[in-house]
Amino acid sequence: MKRWFAPLAVLLASAVGMHALTLHFAPRLIMGRAMAVLEQRGIALHAFTATPRVTPQAQQVVRSSPDLYYALCRYDLSDPAAHLDLRMAAWPAYQSLSFFDARTDNFATLRGTGQPVTTRLLPPGSTPEPGAIISPTPSGIILIRRLAPDAARHAAAAAAGKADACQLTLISR
Amino acid sequence: MWRMATYVGAILAGSALGLGSALWLAGLWPEGRSLAFGNVDVGGWRSDFAIGSKAADPYTRARVARHGLLALAKTEAVYLTRTTDDAGAPLREACTYRLSGGAMPAGWWSVTLYGAGSMLPANTDEALSLDAEQAGTGAWSAVIAPARPADATAWISSRAAGNFDLTLRLYMPTPGLLADPNAALTPPRIARMSCEGGA
Repeated sequence: MKRWFAPLAVLLASAVGMHALTLHFAPRLIMGRAMAVLEQRGIALHAFTATPRVTPQAQQVVRSSPDLYYALCRYDLSDPAAHLDLRMAAWPAYQSLSFFDARTDNFATLRGTGQPVTTRLLPPGSTPEPGAIISPTPSGIILIRRLAPDAARHAAAAAAGKADACQLTLISR
Repeated sequence: MWRMATYVGAILAGSALGLGSALWLAGLWPEGRSLAFGNVDVGGWRSDFAIGSKAADPYTRARVARHGLLALAKTEAVYLTRTTDDAGAPLREACTYRLSGGAMPAGWWSVTLYGAGSMLPANTDEALSLDAEQAGTGAWSAVIAPARPADATAWISSRAAGNFDLTLRLYMPTPGLLADPNAALTPPRIARMSCEGGA
């Protein structure tokens, strides 16, 4: 019996270690895969791309809402001299500008019902600035949601979205 | 040699056990596991208010990454999911249900039907959800069925959904909902009216 003690301890340690590693890396892997898929589907880097109205035939992300207009911007702030200038244009109903890091955390959301919203997104480790948000990871996704529960309002939201901006700016040093 | 093989076997078996248990507990494996999980349960509508936040435990984080990627944190939106009717039976395309409720503690809300893989069912009925605007103020109800009801009742289509679930989105939730969801939210009811074959 005694001779099985060490192999059983190794089995247990391997199980616990692999369990923890899987949980730690799964969101990053899933988010990384999602970002790759979004890129393949034409979601631009450092620009908002409006998705088609969500229907069963056009759904890019799990559990998308058919009642909302979505526009996404992928970002990469791995250059510490870079930042993003963001603008969410005015929309008469609910709208929000939300930020997701590479671990899937929703680290900031700005609501803008009836009014435009502007902000800056800074790379990880930046000095805090008024009116700016610091990204916890170099890459991630920014998402605009607008309440648009029918085809006419989705078209209007898309027209309003032409004034949205997700622009990379490099500060020369 | 035998000793070495024993240790290699232990590592491989332990790794497989750790991988499988993590994927299972996080709802990532096997496919088609339910999203109805979390620390909030209001009349069978379940959620984890840590969704989207750094406070989410690793299981919630992994599960949401798979089934609810880009979900908002609770201060902006709360997501509750239900997989069974009021009698506790799984929601099925073969059955017709009456979904009913009242005012919601949020600025705007919707109930959306999702089929396998957390995707909208592959139909062209343009009846995938019910929202606050359609429901109006006060009491409301809708029929969930694979075919449009004969009368003018609000309809959520379950055609091509197979086994499905419903997600209740509550945007701009009230502070009361976040503090005590069981006190603030009267959960929508899901009464089974009939099933094909009478089952």
